[in-house]
Amino acid sequence: MKGVKAMYLKELSELDGVSGDEGRVRKFIEEKIKDKVDSLKVDIMGNLIALKKGTKSNRKFLLAAHMDEVGFMVTNIEDDGTLSFGPVGGIDPRVAVGKHVRIKGELAGVIGYKAIHLQRKDELLASPKFENLRINIGAKSKEEASRKVEIGDYVTFATDFRCENARATGKAFDDRAGCAALMEILEKGQRYEDDLCFAFLVQEETGLRGSAVLFEQLCPDLALVIEGTTAGDDPGLPEHQWATHLGDGPAITFMHRGYVVNKKIYESILQVARKYDIRHQPKRRTAGGTDAARLAKTGGGVPAGVISIPARYIHSPLSMIDLADFNNTVLLLSKILEEGEGFAK
Amino acid sequence: MIDLIKELTESYGPSGREEEVQRIVLKYLEGYIDGHKLDPMGNLLVWKEGRDDKKVLLDAHIDEIGLVVTNIDDKGFLRVEPVGGVSPYTYVGHRVKFPKATGVVYYEGETPDEQKKNLSNLSFDLLFVDIGARDSREAETLVPIGTFGVYDSYFYKNGNYLTSKSMDDRVGCAVLVEVFRNLNDPKHTVIGSFSVQEEIGLVGAFVSAYSFSPQACVAVDVTDSADHPKGFKRHAMALGKGPAIKIKDKMSISHRRVVEMLEQAAQKANVPYQKEVLTFGGTNAAALQRTKEGIPSATLSIPTRYVHSPSETVSLNDVEGAVKLLLSFAKLELEF
Repeated sequence: MKGVKAMYLKELSELDGVSGDEGRVRKFIEEKIKDKVDSLKVDIMGNLIALKKGTKSNRKFLLAAHMDEVGFMVTNIEDDGTLSFGPVGGIDPRVAVGKHVRIKGELAGVIGYKAIHLQRKDELLASPKFENLRINIGAKSKEEASRKVEIGDYVTFATDFRCENARATGKAFDDRAGCAALMEILEKGQRYEDDLCFAFLVQEETGLRGSAVLFEQLCPDLALVIEGTTAGDDPGLPEHQWATHLGDGPAITFMHRGYVVNKKIYESILQVARKYDIRHQPKRRTAGGTDAARLAKTGGGVPAGVISIPARYIHSPLSMIDLADFNNTVLLLSKILEEGEGFAK
Repeated sequence: MIDLIKELTESYGPSGREEEVQRIVLKYLEGYIDGHKLDPMGNLLVWKEGRDDKKVLLDAHIDEIGLVVTNIDDKGFLRVEPVGGVSPYTYVGHRVKFPKATGVVYYEGETPDEQKKNLSNLSFDLLFVDIGARDSREAETLVPIGTFGVYDSYFYKNGNYLTSKSMDDRVGCAVLVEVFRNLNDPKHTVIGSFSVQEEIGLVGAFVSAYSFSPQACVAVDVTDSADHPKGFKRHAMALGKGPAIKIKDKMSISHRRVVEMLEQAAQKANVPYQKEVLTFGGTNAAALQRTKEGIPSATLSIPTRYVHSPSETVSLNDVEGAVKLLLSFAKLELEF
């Protein structure tokens, strides 16, 4: 990754942490940030929450990214030693076929499918269903498989991180890219006017669950959710349906499923981006949701903004981001924090 | 009250952009309330103090459905997505009003066959908006991506029937305003919540009761009225038979005791009322009842024809009945 910074992205991307099994990711982040914050805790849901005092401390500013990724779970061990499984979070079964997977973060397996010779013409290109897919770990019998795997074990895609021409490919950029961005902010070791709460959240992909318990613990005055979001700039779609464009900078959300972003926060983000001439783009679709919707609806309500790093092919074994977008996201975030109490006042 | 309903329904306030309507509400309430505040989500909360420390919260959502600009092409045509439950059909050939421009909405089609096909499978991806811009730059100045629009519609009185956009739920806001303007010496403190972002998921109402912890909540909202040709089967609601006391919809079941109190209030004030079971939909009562440890909540509905269209139609009788009913409700002892 010559010259391009994104210090923790590779490690974070290669760690396995499907919703409900975020321990490896949490441990990694905790280890890296513990000396850079004033206090740190893991709450009952498993969210990692770090606090950093401000110089004025009049407001509590929450910065959130989710640690979990979409993946699978073993639902049964079949007589022939193969594993049936189902998705955890939203995954199109078509992207599962013919992939290497990792069970419990260690055991290798593959998801196979009938070879083309054995498919009828009308079966070709038809979407497989999860009930017709199996994970093969090379076991010859149920007994042999049962020695290595249990029902309920988590499964992730086994994808290596790569970086070429400042474009990174890997799994789980949704939302390890957000986690990496928050870690870079902490690396700067700076104090800002507001008290900062860094929340690395669990179970976003299964329904914004980790963020549901933040209000009672923190009572934040405002929040920013840092996400990895759909790029959609692919040739299959007409241009006016592209959500974001890779390389055009962080995507700023004005509305998504279940929440219109607080106007003051949305406009303040745009103002900061313009003030420092940081490349950015509005997110051009309203589909999908983030933890901002949950924060808005819990306790007394937390007005939240959403800044996303565009990623192509999310919720699949391989997504792609532009490192310039990542760096611009970190830059935008740090400039927002430098604004102090002037931001979204 | 008619002027109030006209002003409220003709004002601009899609979900997340409710400030203009909130200003109108405050203008009408000046001198009639003991205080008001905006909560962190932007809900406008007003109150009038009662004789004891119990509190009852009346809710009406102040937002309306709309469109939001998601793309602008080289020639200055806009692409839009819905804000809340909007049918693309209601916008074909109709106008959309943005803060700084008004546009015509139409649909794509390069041959008569394609037009026919698109019209029968209409989606927002097939719609575009023409604001008369010469190019993308002009459009971008007038309506940058992320600008919200609403039906360009107007208030009309047809005998006793009132027609306008956004009766859902400005008519509820008008009921609340009238209640506060006529509320004398209430038994308990009455809180009015003019809640934001109901149309996209009851967002405001999930948090609006948090800082007050009231003993009961009543959401005032519109409901289906099935009294037109081939209206919804199984729905009893009709225009002119009085406000409807909701028993159940898809998202909540009204608290039994609050329902009893609403009926009692209607009988005491001699207001005709109807009972409502809606087979779909939901109101802010679903969010209010789940606040903190739970709050007994119900919905008082204004039967409305053509909900979520530019011409939502209500009966003035039902609206005035709802005001009387709630004024009578405010005199009752809250006992659970």
